[in-house]
Amino acid sequence: MSFNRDSLVALCLILASGGLMLASFEIREPDYGVLSPAAWPRIIIIIIGGLSVIYLIQSFSTPQKDISPVPKKTLKEFVLYWQNVIAVFSIFALYLLVLPYLGMLVGNILFSFVLLTVLGGWNAILMHLVIALGASGGMWLLFTHVLEVFLPRGSLTGF
Amino acid sequence: MDIFLEALLNIIDPVTLTYMVIGVGAGLMAGSIPGFTIAMAIVLTLPFTFSMPPAQGLATMISVLVGGLSGGLMSGILTGIPGTPSSVATTFDGFPMARAGEPGLALGIGVWSSFCGGIISAILLVLFAPQLAMVGLEFQPWDFFMLVMFALTVTASLAGEHLVKGLIAGAAGLFIRTVGEDDAVGVGRFDFGSDYLLTGFDFIAVLIGLFAFSQLLSDLRNPVTARNALSDRKQVKVKIEHRRAIGILFRNWTVVIRSALIGMFTGILPGAGGSIANILAYDQAKKAAKDDSKFGKGDPRGIIAPEASNNAVEGGALTPLMALGIPGDITAAIMLGALLMHDIVPGPTFIKDEPALAYSIYIAFFLASFIMIGMQSGVLRVFVLVTRIKTYILATVILTFATIGVFALHNSIEDIWTLFFFGILGFIMRQFGFPLAPMILGVVLGNIAELNLARALAIDSDPMLFFLRPWSLFFAIIAIFSMVFPIYQKHRDTGSLLERFFSPLVLLSISLPLFMMGGLLRTTLAFAAIAVSSFIMWQRFGKTKKG
Repeated sequence: MSFNRDSLVALCLILASGGLMLASFEIREPDYGVLSPAAWPRIIIIIIGGLSVIYLIQSFSTPQKDISPVPKKTLKEFVLYWQNVIAVFSIFALYLLVLPYLGMLVGNILFSFVLLTVLGGWNAILMHLVIALGASGGMWLLFTHVLEVFLPRGSLTGF
Repeated sequence: MDIFLEALLNIIDPVTLTYMVIGVGAGLMAGSIPGFTIAMAIVLTLPFTFSMPPAQGLATMISVLVGGLSGGLMSGILTGIPGTPSSVATTFDGFPMARAGEPGLALGIGVWSSFCGGIISAILLVLFAPQLAMVGLEFQPWDFFMLVMFALTVTASLAGEHLVKGLIAGAAGLFIRTVGEDDAVGVGRFDFGSDYLLTGFDFIAVLIGLFAFSQLLSDLRNPVTARNALSDRKQVKVKIEHRRAIGILFRNWTVVIRSALIGMFTGILPGAGGSIANILAYDQAKKAAKDDSKFGKGDPRGIIAPEASNNAVEGGALTPLMALGIPGDITAAIMLGALLMHDIVPGPTFIKDEPALAYSIYIAFFLASFIMIGMQSGVLRVFVLVTRIKTYILATVILTFATIGVFALHNSIEDIWTLFFFGILGFIMRQFGFPLAPMILGVVLGNIAELNLARALAIDSDPMLFFLRPWSLFFAIIAIFSMVFPIYQKHRDTGSLLERFFSPLVLLSISLPLFMMGGLLRTTLAFAAIAVSSFIMWQRFGKTKKG
């Protein structure tokens, strides 16, 4: 019996179930309707909680298979292993934050150009620029002019 | 007849036809890219169809689906890398045949088997969906609720030894749909004072995040492989040999029909899709062959079986969707999303209430198969060239595309945040070995489950009715057995009691609700189930005594 990655996930799930169960008592109970708005979520939370307990017990009794050989030695190794994923997360979050200021067209061109360059390296920077301009511009034209979907304009760029 | 004509005119409209051709092309391209699943292609098509009339939107999505199911065979046969999980078995004999100097014949057999599988399943869809819908008319809210539970447990049970993780994922999917305003009484739930949470998560943004975004992140994880092209094949100079391929298919018509039926049946089962059907059909073709020594070395039957079955899967998956409103797999779940987006709620009365739309789906399914044949022959080279694009370029373009698509759903930046959050969640779940299919089904079916639970309790507050009504008992029994199924599989060939008595117990248990349903056919079926169960038990009990 040993505490492993699955045990940690199971514990987090049990804690989350407890937290959500508490939050379910904040749901307002109206005087009308047969099924309380909190009833169905509570049933689901109880199921998740119960299953998480089984998962925790299983994690102790089942030998842990190392499905993803993630290096655990140093923070640097960890970051190097996940560098692309961290890059995508960070660039995407940044893109979402600046989207209201830059708008969809400029925002998407910048997002795809930066992401392509970070993932593919600086050697093909010109190709990345062409792809970013072509793909983002093409999609912008398709959505705004063919499908007539309004795409957000940036408060700084104006388009 | 007027309705059929109306549906036909909907589909043969030049704009719809153009979208269908683009859809088949996009599907073929998506299918030919290893790692880019058909479900991902369908989910990314969804935002495009928002501004289209329902029939046009569904026809476009069906075209992507048909194209995607067939696209996997090209890269599988020519490069040995299956484009989609549903064409894994095609490579077993397709690639050896191509390497032996017959790539044109291998492709021909694959293309025509796909076509036949698609057409057979389309015919069965037309025949079976209305029949199943008639059965569905007997369903009451208790039965629908249990049907959703059954769909979730079956999907979770496909996770095999990770059954508990599958069940947690399914329940989490149901929970995600409870966030925001309650549909029945309009009370906010789990909003924590945030307007963003109060409006709830748009389920299409959730689906794209969970499925597409997380998949892209997984593809990009390794910096070295992310910079590689999916295939280094420089040129494709192949001409599909149609005539020879059709001749071989005629000689092996039993393999075609059997495989299509396997695909259709697998598709009807919630959660089981093409990835299972192609392996099952291949295995059956091998077992049924008098001489199986050529399997794995370029036997035509080894291409026919997986391709006919994986194309037949969607006819099967669309059957419960059109008849009961319950999707047979992830792609059908996304189709359900498309229908809900247009305020059309499929259910037993769908075919009766929306006959033009139902016929449009049938016609689109047939027509897309013909378009697929034409396109696969004509622009084969282009599709295979796609596999030469570097992974990070493809992933970035797809991600940009997904972002615009998600925004277009409601012109809301919040939906892109939803895409982002659920992309992270999906990625983490993949890393921890949680299957995504039950969660996606939970997200899609969450509202249907809650609505039917509320309806059932409004009619009668006795919760025991969920186990006392024939159909709900029937679904509850098969839901329980589906949860035990992974344990049964683990004990196969061990001679344990569970292994010996699992199937007779299933038959014995389902005979009870069949008796309760009444009527000549169902009572006969119940007696037959008891007879078969008793016979198996007698045989196996004898073995146990001898042992």
